[in-house]
Amino acid sequence: MTVNRRVLAAVLAAFIVVAVATTNAHHSATMFEQTKTITVEGVVKEFQYSNPHSWLLVDVKDKAGKVTTWGFEAEGPSTLQRAGIRPSEFPVGTKVTMTGRPMKDGTPAAIWVLAVRGDGKRFDPREGFQVK
Amino acid sequence: MRTKLLIATMALAGATALLVSTIDAQDPGETRQRMADLGRQHKTATDLYEALKADANGGRRLIPARLPDWTGVYTRARGGITYDPDQPRGGPPTAKLTPEYQARLTRRIEMADKGVEWDPISTCAPPGHPRWLTEPFLKEFIVTPDQTWLVNEMVNDIRRIYTDGRDHPPEADRYPLYNGDSIGFWDGDRLVIHTNQLRSGIYQRRNPDYTDQVETVEIWRKVNPKLIEVDVWVYDPPALVEPWYTKQSYAKLDDQGKSLRIRYWHCGENENNSVVQTEGGSTQFRDFTFTDQDNAQGGRP
Repeated sequence: MTVNRRVLAAVLAAFIVVAVATTNAHHSATMFEQTKTITVEGVVKEFQYSNPHSWLLVDVKDKAGKVTTWGFEAEGPSTLQRAGIRPSEFPVGTKVTMTGRPMKDGTPAAIWVLAVRGDGKRFDPREGFQVK
Repeated sequence: MRTKLLIATMALAGATALLVSTIDAQDPGETRQRMADLGRQHKTATDLYEALKADANGGRRLIPARLPDWTGVYTRARGGITYDPDQPRGGPPTAKLTPEYQARLTRRIEMADKGVEWDPISTCAPPGHPRWLTEPFLKEFIVTPDQTWLVNEMVNDIRRIYTDGRDHPPEADRYPLYNGDSIGFWDGDRLVIHTNQLRSGIYQRRNPDYTDQVETVEIWRKVNPKLIEVDVWVYDPPALVEPWYTKQSYAKLDDQGKSLRIRYWHCGENENNSVVQTEGGSTQFRDFTFTDQDNAQGGRP
């Protein structure tokens, strides 16, 4: 390969969207299901925008009217920012449908896979690992 | 005798120079093989570093008016959280391990496949070098004449590379450090680094262990306006049968809106992230502040 072709390949590589492992960088994700997902609907209780992981807390009401707070874990602020997920996107009371990989032990917590807000806007934290 | 030694050293340096200078024109597979061979030609990281330094006539000193432009915010371009970006997908790490360390790696992967996994940085310890190279968040590289700072956002992790001509501390005064002691020199637009005095650790999850005898040689180079590449040789005789060569790379992120900032990273700021190692050796959250169950039990386990 010539030098020019090599440089071109490197430039292209820098712009390629890179899919990264779904494990969390601070701790193993082994306490979560690896393939099974759940989807719940609720309203935002709190957005803990923090390192090393952020938590979106969502109040979910069942048919009997009982409210359970679910936590959805994602990466820290800089990665979320790169995914277009800012604190202002999820004010308290925002209607949201959350998809995540739940904890194996039944605790109402999951890895945040996708959030779809009431207005239809979608938020995928893994987009924050894209190299662009 | 001294003359013969000098001639041999010069010959080896010459061979190293020829190898490094012709590598740019090779295809990636061929380049990887040649760089791995370069590592094998030197018994220790110090030997490789000194050969590269001899080839560069001792290296040059940067002047403030002509510093390489490594400004910007970068992130790892390839590899996810696998140490070797060229590790085949689904395949094992590419290191050639001693039997003891191969057995450790095999067991780690087997246990992870069973859902039993623990990462030493879960307690907020820094990853340490050479794992530093793999961490997936934001990075900045700050070049000055006497030092280059390699900054990793996670846990405010800075590697200081001294390029002012100093040597490592005397061997009798060395003690294990997370990021070790790094000295370097500039060879044209290449920053050559030797790091020793490191602590033991892991390259990444599902990757091998390294010992406190680990040392590295790195050649950092900005290959185009968007990419910095790093040739890395790891020497670690207790764990590696031969030096482990990898090519790491960091992409400059588009920040036209000037919104990217590296903030202070306090790993313990949110108690909902606190995890513990279970009796079985795996990972579990300590407590949540948002579940009635955990709040009533006062934490688990």
